[in-house]
Amino acid sequence: MRRGLMAWDPAEVPASALADRLARLRAELAREGVDVFVAYTNIARGGSVWWLTGFTPYWNEGLLYAPAQGEMVFATALSKRVAEWISSVMPAGEVTTTPRPSAFIGEHIARDGAKRIGVLELDDFPAGHAQAILAASPGVELVDVTQAFARVRGEADAVERLLLTKADALAQAACGAVDVASLHARDFIAPAESVARLGGAEECFTLVACDLSASGAFVRTDSMGPLGDTYAARVSLAYKGAWTRHVRSFARDAGVQQSFDAAHAVLMDFAQQPGEALGAAVLRAFASSGEVVNWVAEQPRGSYPLAPVANMAQSAAGLSTAAPFVLDVELKIQGRRWIGARMIGL
Amino acid sequence: MSKEALAARTAALKEAMTRENVEILVLFGNNWHADHLRYATDFGIQEGQGIALVREDGSITLILDDPAECERARCETVCETIFAPALVQEAKRQLSRAGNHNIAAAPYHLLPYGLLHGEKDLRVADGAKIVEHLLMTKMEVEIAAVRKAAALADQGYAIFRQAARPGRKDYELVAEMESFFRAHGVPENFMIVGVGGQEVRGMAPPGGKILKKGDMVTTELTPCFDGYYAQICRTLVVGEPSEAQRQAFAVYLEAMEAGIATVRAGVTAADVAKAENDVFRKYGLGEYVTSEYTRVRGHGMGLFPDQKPAILEDVKITLQAGMTLIVHPNTYHPAVGYLVLGDSLVVREGGHELLCGTKRELFSVPLQ
Repeated sequence: MRRGLMAWDPAEVPASALADRLARLRAELAREGVDVFVAYTNIARGGSVWWLTGFTPYWNEGLLYAPAQGEMVFATALSKRVAEWISSVMPAGEVTTTPRPSAFIGEHIARDGAKRIGVLELDDFPAGHAQAILAASPGVELVDVTQAFARVRGEADAVERLLLTKADALAQAACGAVDVASLHARDFIAPAESVARLGGAEECFTLVACDLSASGAFVRTDSMGPLGDTYAARVSLAYKGAWTRHVRSFARDAGVQQSFDAAHAVLMDFAQQPGEALGAAVLRAFASSGEVVNWVAEQPRGSYPLAPVANMAQSAAGLSTAAPFVLDVELKIQGRRWIGARMIGL
Repeated sequence: MSKEALAARTAALKEAMTRENVEILVLFGNNWHADHLRYATDFGIQEGQGIALVREDGSITLILDDPAECERARCETVCETIFAPALVQEAKRQLSRAGNHNIAAAPYHLLPYGLLHGEKDLRVADGAKIVEHLLMTKMEVEIAAVRKAAALADQGYAIFRQAARPGRKDYELVAEMESFFRAHGVPENFMIVGVGGQEVRGMAPPGGKILKKGDMVTTELTPCFDGYYAQICRTLVVGEPSEAQRQAFAVYLEAMEAGIATVRAGVTAADVAKAENDVFRKYGLGEYVTSEYTRVRGHGMGLFPDQKPAILEDVKITLQAGMTLIVHPNTYHPAVGYLVLGDSLVVREGGHELLCGTKRELFSVPLQ
């Protein structure tokens, strides 16, 4: 549920950048023989529609329709008054409020005479909406264009990099604001939430691994308990729709904290050498810190703002080298679990 | 939530499945619609999507497509948890393995297309009959959680009043709220705000407006406890309220109290809405209770912050004991702008149990 700052600043997100993204997507879809594009969005799956329009729903759901030419249409069942607000924060596309968004899009498709409808993540597309589109535009074919979208989306432009840079700075500041003197995880993490949102985070998920000696799982505040001797904060946040994560590990013992800080410094300086595979780079970078137990790389994937695209057990073939990624690393340092994460490649 | 509470929910679900002759119930969810999934598994999904398979013997498999969420679920739930990046395919595989059963699913309209369509289409019925009633009409153990959420909403509004000062930006108020809620164990809060005067036609996420003297600041806070949401709606004025603001507020107060006085088991949602709207009509403000200016006159709350029944004059759902609602005559007032006021309550046989304790007044915050 988005409840932080949601505003459009044309200096940050010029409409021309969004037009360029749409043009690239249209060209890719045309190569696939697809006439038009449809994507679904809600607060958990806002990534693709945000990338094309600059907007993520704060609540509820919507459908984006990109015809072969002309303005995109964003249809939502939210009220007319909310639609007016959406128009003020959404730089691209026309907003339509209707109790039946998918039927509205289907009628649009029928009017446009489109036959092959490119749907992002067809398998995950809500069946009710798919059926309404098919009913309103008989004879069309729904085609999954997830791969085509990924090829275009895999390249981060300057606008996205700028937003990610701001998001990364906020996430770092939030993780640095935790109350290390606290005994309970809730008190420990609450200041991070404050710093993130005061800095303009649109959304923020603050989780804690309360006792790294027992588990590396990050839990929400309703499951948090007392902090152990070693623990970690995980801040995932969006700044103007651009998502990042930052993880820092902490220790009560000053000596252990020193080794944790040293590993974090390695993460902050992490860079691949030319031609070096990500897995090899992780092993090289952390060789003197501890044993690498696991690593995961995350990037935007379809409608998900961040999703795993590579890890220690698999190849990094799914990782786009033309876009930043979140690197999440788990080490064993002198027998203790250490976890860190940050955005790489900004 | 306690093991006993979850066991009570599981038993209710099993009973409903038996009644509807359903052998496997498929429940789908994400951070927007987390309620169905949470009811069965007690897992509050935050990222990605999830599907729970509830079997007639009460065993449950939770499938999640995010590895970190899966790790969290293994800490927070007792059911079998599977990580599957291809969520739909894994769910289909599990259902195929189970054989030819009577399957129902909810929320039906949000079910993934790939689950219902493919090489071999699954026959899945709409499971709304099984789940909707359970989500709307709560057991006492669930009401206890809503009651705690309402207490947090009251405490939260006190923080909000302290935070609202001239010169502050609207999102800075949200920052204070969220920090307070995290420190008090609240993982989710639905919250929108409005800042200004006659030009403000509704509430939305903050856009960076700076509070100034004379502004009305509206908000609805909706924290959750054990996954159950409760809401409070209040309006404050930066500085002393004007006479117009006071007069407008009096209408909303009368409307809310008329609506709340109507609430009891056996009346319809429409009856409550009419009671609220009649007050507006009495003062010549009938135009402002239409969809042009307002969405609903209240709504149900539970594991979803905005669940059925919507309090509207055309909603004929009968209120039943155990439903938890907010009654809020929130709408635009032509003299002063958008104004909100609302309290959460439980529907009881002879009336209602009020859950919010914050004074029903147009608050004023100091200019310094």
